[in-house]
Amino acid sequence: MTHRWGMAVDLDRCTGCEACVTACRTENNIRIAGPEQSARGRAIAWIRVERYYEGDFPDVRVKFRPVMCQQCDAAPCEPVCPTYASHHTDEGLNAQVYNRCIGTRYCANACPYSVRFFNFGNPVWDRPLELPLNPDVSVREVGVVEKCTFCVQRINAGKEQAKAENRELQDGEIKPACVQSCPASALVFGDLNDAESEVSRLSRSSRGTKLLEDLGTLPKVTYLQRQF
Amino acid sequence: MDLATERKINEDLLRPLRQTSVWFFLLIAGLGIIVLAGVGSWMYQVWNGLAVAGIRWPVFWAFYITNFVFWIGISHAGTLISAILRLVNATWRRPVTRCAEVITVFALMIGAMFPIIHLGRPWLFFWLIPYPSERQIWPNLRSPLAWDFFAISTYLTGSTLFLLLPLIPDFALLRDQMRGWRKRIYAVLALGWQGTTKQWHRLEAAMQIMAIAIVPVAVSVHTIVSFDFSMSSVPMWHSTVFGPYFVAGAIFSGIAALILAMAVLRKALHLEEYLHPVHFQNLGKLLLMMSLLWGYFTFAERLTTWYGNNSAEMAVFWETQTGAYAPLFWTMVFCNFVIPFPLLAIRRLRTITGTVIASSLIVVGMWLERFLIIVPSLATKHLPYAWGAYRPQPVEIMITVATFAAMVLLYALFAKAVPIISIWELKVGGHAQPVLTPEEQEEQRELWKARP
Amino acid sequence: MKAIYGLYSDPDSAQHAVESLRRAGVADDSISVLASQPYEEYEFSHRYKQTWLFWIAAGGGALGLWLGLGLAYLTETRWPLVTGGMPIFAWWPNIIIMFELTMLGAIIATVVSLLVMTELPTICSKVYDPEVSQGKILVAVENPADGEISTLERTLKGSGITEVKRVT
Repeated sequence: MTHRWGMAVDLDRCTGCEACVTACRTENNIRIAGPEQSARGRAIAWIRVERYYEGDFPDVRVKFRPVMCQQCDAAPCEPVCPTYASHHTDEGLNAQVYNRCIGTRYCANACPYSVRFFNFGNPVWDRPLELPLNPDVSVREVGVVEKCTFCVQRINAGKEQAKAENRELQDGEIKPACVQSCPASALVFGDLNDAESEVSRLSRSSRGTKLLEDLGTLPKVTYLQRQF
Repeated sequence: MDLATERKINEDLLRPLRQTSVWFFLLIAGLGIIVLAGVGSWMYQVWNGLAVAGIRWPVFWAFYITNFVFWIGISHAGTLISAILRLVNATWRRPVTRCAEVITVFALMIGAMFPIIHLGRPWLFFWLIPYPSERQIWPNLRSPLAWDFFAISTYLTGSTLFLLLPLIPDFALLRDQMRGWRKRIYAVLALGWQGTTKQWHRLEAAMQIMAIAIVPVAVSVHTIVSFDFSMSSVPMWHSTVFGPYFVAGAIFSGIAALILAMAVLRKALHLEEYLHPVHFQNLGKLLLMMSLLWGYFTFAERLTTWYGNNSAEMAVFWETQTGAYAPLFWTMVFCNFVIPFPLLAIRRLRTITGTVIASSLIVVGMWLERFLIIVPSLATKHLPYAWGAYRPQPVEIMITVATFAAMVLLYALFAKAVPIISIWELKVGGHAQPVLTPEEQEEQRELWKARP
Repeated sequence: MKAIYGLYSDPDSAQHAVESLRRAGVADDSISVLASQPYEEYEFSHRYKQTWLFWIAAGGGALGLWLGLGLAYLTETRWPLVTGGMPIFAWWPNIIIMFELTMLGAIIATVVSLLVMTELPTICSKVYDPEVSQGKILVAVENPADGEISTLERTLKGSGITEVKRVT
């Protein structure tokens, strides 16, 4: 049966440490913006931890929410791309084909979660920062839109490994970088078509909600609400 | 019309082509420098990437798309005056048609540059063209940007042909009247036009068909441009009124641009006998109507938003009403409605000067309107963590200014090469003298056998 | 080509000349009237009024419609990529493409037919006089038989001009 990749985020467990952000950056060769460009809004973070403050001092509560590409089944970013750079794969992922992107940025505007990022310049890594570049992930050139892919390179590697060993994929075998690095195990990744997988179970949880659900984008990331 | 009047019309309207003052060369030089600076800015941007522009996460469209929508909007001038007024047999349109059609063609050309200028990888813009590639992959016809390509290509082709067809008899006139190397060029452009009965009939029939065809195309073009916005779920973009709103705004800004062009031409080329206050008054009345229509659409859209109280939309709404974009918003309302309304509604104020002031304000106001549709909504999208502020950078400002200079430059060059008032159409209308009051027209009617 | 013509200062004399030529037995096809504007109120302008142009434009539009439909269907099914959960071939967006190509077809068909019908651009030489653009109306008889030339001269002069020109 074909896979249908999804994620679950437990907002009770998330501590806002941003290990996921750092891991994602390293795994996916995300370019460095620097302080000046970041101040001008050019920083790229495929996964980001949103921080919301509620209440006044001293009764301030901080809420953390990791937001990454929701891989929507009715993605608003897909029909608007004039060159098919953004389209849906049969495993439910929203593919971003860098070679086909001409940089109209319509998809980035249409995405209600603001999870699509644009390369304002060519990536530059000062030595020795080019050493940890991941050879499994392409480096995007200037003028191309990029976003979270659920670490599709790891998905493909996992599938190939299982095929080579002539066995089925196990639940929890494939972990995107953010899932792997979360110290609180707040992020869970797996196959939604497998009813027994942890992510399927969590997506059916009574605490489960979807982000901006009323827009009808059918996102595949389930957020488990905080209990307190 | 007697021969003396015919000769006078020929002389007056060909004089700008025959005589060139030093001011013309200074104007061309000045505008040329600005345009070159704009081209240089764009080259700088292509070399360095869009980092040199002001766009950012999440405001990915700003000045360039504002300009795109603005210029495509201006291009609706020609369609309205040339095509619609032709279809309803409004004779006062005759001296004005070519001025308007020229605005359309050049505004479209300039507007169509902007989708290329704003691309991240502009050297690949041709992927929007449906051509058979090796990989057999085609553009996504579900995307409003692909619709833009088809619509603007069709409209550009249609308007250019709509401009060129009635130019053929005038090229024949130029072929006869000019001398030297220019005579040879006009002879080629005239295509051997003689003016036989058959040719006139076919030409008029073709113009009628083109007028009928170009009106729905023009409406569809700006509707499709509005679909670039309304087909996404961005707050205050996803509005069903955007199609008519944009078309009304386009016609509005188009008439304003036309009035400005006519006023300048009238002064610069001494066309006081051909462009009369009544032309400005009639266009002023149309402008007033469009101003009211614009105000109506704006009010309806904002009332619906405010009443609906959707939290994402209200964030954008307050940004424009009282927040960071409020100064621009209220300037726009003043420029588009509050000040033009008395200037255009009160007959004593609806003079050439009055309409020119109103039109200048409206051009500014409509540019602001495009900006205020695009930027506040992107700056204040659904997730508050992803909000951001936009500041334009010198590159964007320079390119914007350069397109205005390019428009004036192209227009000036055109008026130098081709009579800006359609000579044969003017003669058909019989308007060699000042336009008369209705009573005087009745007296004169049988003397002229003028076509109604 | 051969022609004999007169230049008239006003449309009334030109109309008179055309009628005189008709009474003299000249076929309507051989009479050409050249002017710098279409004098719609006069009968000499009402010949050749029938035209197929509107039908051709409609045909061009129909052709454009089918081209649009074909383009949309063939290209969308060539690489069936799912976008936004929409069907591969949906009528809503494709109608826009079809509409634009319909109008483009009508416009191009009109212009091409116009050029063909009016025989523009002309390759062979046709009768013309630069005085036409100064407001005179030229009434010509094309390819007259040699024996008729003096009769035609008299007829043309009888409508108020003193000079008749010849093209050989």
